[in-house]
Amino acid sequence: MRISRRAVALAAVLATVLPLSACGGGSDDGSSEASDAVKGKITFQTWNLQANFKDYFNGVIKDFEKEYPGTEVQWIDRPAEGYADKLSADAAGGTLPDVVNVSPDLVTPLAKAGLAMDLDKDETAAAYGKEYLPGAWRSHQIPGLQGTYAFPWYLNTGPMFYNKRLFEEAGLNPEKPPTTYDEVFESGLRLAEQSNGKIATLAQVPTIEDFGRYGASLMNKDGTGFTFNDAKGVEMLTRYKELFDKKALDSQALTATPESSGTKFLTESVAMNPGSALDLEKFKKEAPRLYKNIGITDQVTSTGKVNMYVMGVMVNARTKQKATSVAFAHFVTDKTRQMSFAKQVAIFPSTKGSLDDPYFTKEDGTDETRVRIAAAKSLDSAVNYTPVLFSEQMKTELRNQVAKALQGKVSPQEALDRAVEACDKLLKQS
Amino acid sequence: MKSTTAPRATSSDPAVAGPAPRSSGFGRRGPRHGPADRAGGGIRRQLPTSPWLFAAPGLLIVGAFSLYPFLSTLINSFTDRRTLVAGEFVGLANFAELLDDEMFWIGLRNSTLYVVGVVPALVLLPLLLALLVQRQIPGITFFRSAFYTPVVASIVVVGLIWVWMLDDRGLVNSLLEIVGVGKIGFLSDQWLLLMSAMAVTVWKGLGYYMIIYLAALANVPRELHEAAAVDGAGAVRRFVTVTMPAVRSTMVLVGALSSVAAFKVFSEVYLMAGPTGGPAGEDTTLVMLVQRVGTGLSGRVGYASAISVVVFVVTVALMLLVLRADRKEDA
Repeated sequence: MRISRRAVALAAVLATVLPLSACGGGSDDGSSEASDAVKGKITFQTWNLQANFKDYFNGVIKDFEKEYPGTEVQWIDRPAEGYADKLSADAAGGTLPDVVNVSPDLVTPLAKAGLAMDLDKDETAAAYGKEYLPGAWRSHQIPGLQGTYAFPWYLNTGPMFYNKRLFEEAGLNPEKPPTTYDEVFESGLRLAEQSNGKIATLAQVPTIEDFGRYGASLMNKDGTGFTFNDAKGVEMLTRYKELFDKKALDSQALTATPESSGTKFLTESVAMNPGSALDLEKFKKEAPRLYKNIGITDQVTSTGKVNMYVMGVMVNARTKQKATSVAFAHFVTDKTRQMSFAKQVAIFPSTKGSLDDPYFTKEDGTDETRVRIAAAKSLDSAVNYTPVLFSEQMKTELRNQVAKALQGKVSPQEALDRAVEACDKLLKQS
Repeated sequence: MKSTTAPRATSSDPAVAGPAPRSSGFGRRGPRHGPADRAGGGIRRQLPTSPWLFAAPGLLIVGAFSLYPFLSTLINSFTDRRTLVAGEFVGLANFAELLDDEMFWIGLRNSTLYVVGVVPALVLLPLLLALLVQRQIPGITFFRSAFYTPVVASIVVVGLIWVWMLDDRGLVNSLLEIVGVGKIGFLSDQWLLLMSAMAVTVWKGLGYYMIIYLAALANVPRELHEAAAVDGAGAVRRFVTVTMPAVRSTMVLVGALSSVAAFKVFSEVYLMAGPTGGPAGEDTTLVMLVQRVGTGLSGRVGYASAISVVVFVVTVALMLLVLRADRKEDA
C-alpha cells in the first residue's frame, strides 16, 4: 500500500513538474555559448525541397563546407503537409534546427517566442541586409516587434491558368482572359450560364490575399487590428456570393483545398486556377487535352499589384553555432545561390539586381520562359498581401465566415464583421 | 481493520509462511528486524516488489504514454498555455469560454450525432452479418475475408476512395445522373457530408465487430436453437429469443466500444469534409476542434486541453451509461 501511494505521489509530482519544466525549458538564452567562429556542425531544415532539388542542395552544402573548412551541415527536409506542426513540435521540444526555411507568417510566432534570431542585432547578419531588395528584407519584420527575423530567400507570384476551350465554348475571347476581379466575375457568370451551371470559373473561396488584391484594407497601420470588413471587402464577398448562387463558383468550393481545386481544373470542370510553372509539366503528363488548351495569364488583381509569396531562412536564436548558422543562412540566400536556384525551378531571387539578368528578361519562345518573364515583371510592383500576423486559426475563422455568407446564412457584412472580431481576438491572445 | 489484516498472517501469504516464530499478536506481522526475519529477510523484502518489477515495463509505458499526457492535459486545461508560450493558471476560464464558443457546440452536436447514427448500426449490422457468415457453406471463408478487408485497409486510403466516389463528378453521382435522379451534394451539404462519413465508419467497422460476434455466436449452444425450433419458433423468433439474449453481453461490449470510438471520430470526417470541417466548419467534431485549436505555431494548448477534458468526461459517461444499462437488464 505504501509503495502504491508513493508511486501515485511520484507520478503526480512528475505530472505537475514535467509540463511546467517543458514550458520553461527553453528559457535559456544560449547566446553566451554561441560560437563566434564559422566552424562546427549545424542543422538546416527545408520545406519540401528534397524530392526535386536533392542534388542542388547537396551541392550548396558541399560548397559551403569547402569555403568554410571545419564546418558540417546536416540537411533535414520536411514535407509540405504539416510543416507548421513539425516546426511547432520542434520549437516546443527545444529541437529546432539551427537554420530553418520559413515564411513570414511562420516566423512570427517563433520570433515572438524568442526563437528566431533578430538579424538587425547581429553585426554580421545586419551587414548582409543591403544585398537584398528592400521590400524583401522588410518582409520578415513583424508589427509590434523590433527587428528582422529571417533572410529573404526566393519570391514567387504564380501565374493564373485558364482553359481556352471552355472560354471559347462560352463565347468568350480565349486570347483575352480576365485580369481583374470584375472581369473574372463577368466571365464566370457567362461561363456558368452557357454551360447550364456545369462549368465553374473558380474552385476556391476568397482568401485574405484575394481581399487584398481586390483593394480591401487588411490591417490597420499599427498592426493591432484587422480591417478587411471595409466596403471593398464586403463588395467582393457580395460578388462571390452571386458567383456561388449562379454556380460560377464550384459547389464544393466551401471545402476545397488547393489540391482539390487543382484536380477540378485538371478534369476541366473549372475554367481558371492559380498555380506555378511546375504545373505545366503536370498538365502535359496527366491532362494532355487540357495542356493543348492551356492559357496563362497574370494573377487576378484589381489593385494593379499581384501578390508576392516570400520564403525566408531564419537562424535559431538559441543555436550554439551562431556564426556558422548566420554564415550558412546568408550563403544559401546570397545572389549566386539564389540565381542558381532560380534556374532549377520557377522562383525569383530576392537579391538586388538579380531580376535584371537576361534569364528573367529575354524571351525564347517557350511557355515556361513566357510565364517566368511575366512573373518577374509583375514583381516590380508586387505586394506581400499575406499579413505576417495572420495565423492558421485566423485563416480558418475567415474561411468559415466567408462560407456562411456564401450559403446565405449571414450577410457578407455580418460575416466579415464576425471574422474581423474573431481574428482580432486571436491577435490579442497571440 | 483487524478483520482485514488477519488473513494476511496465515500461511497463504508466502511472505509470512516461513518457519520463523511470530512474536506479534494476532493479525500483526512480526518485528521486521528480528533475528529470524533477518535470516530470510532477503526473500521477504524481494517478494512484495517482484510483481512491481514484472509490471514495471507496462506501467512505465502506460505512465509515459497515457497517464502523463492525461495529467498534463488536465493541468493545461486550467492554463492559457500556447504552443510556444508557457501558460499561466486561469482557473475555469477555458471552460467558461467553451460555453460561448459556437464551434464547441457545433463539435459537441456533431460528435453526439455521430454516436446516435453510428452505434445502433454497428451493434446490429455486424451481428446480422456474423449470422450470415457463420454458416458452414463452401466459399464462406472468402466472404468472411471480404467483409473484414475494410478493417485492415488504411483509413486514409478508404477516405480518399469514398471522396472520389461521392464527388460531384464521382462514380455515385454519375450513376445517379444515368438513372435520372440527378446529382446529390454528398460532399457539399453539411448533413449529407456527416451522414456520408457515418456510412464510411459503419462500412469500415462492420468486419471488426462481425469477428467479435462470430466468437460469441460460436458459444451459443445449438441445443437452444433446436429446442426453440421444435417448439415452433421461426428464424426471427429464434434470433430474438435465443441469439440476442445469448450474445447480449457482446452487444453491450460492441455498444460501449463503438460509442466511444464514434464520439472521438476524427479521420473519416477530416478526410471527407476537409481540414475546414465541412462548409463553414459545420461538420467539425470535438476531436477535430482539439486538433484545429491546439496545433500549429499559434496553437492554444490550454483551450484545446479543456475541450479534451470535456471529450474525456463524455466518453467516460457514455461507457458508464452503457454498462449501467447492461446491469439494469441483468437485474
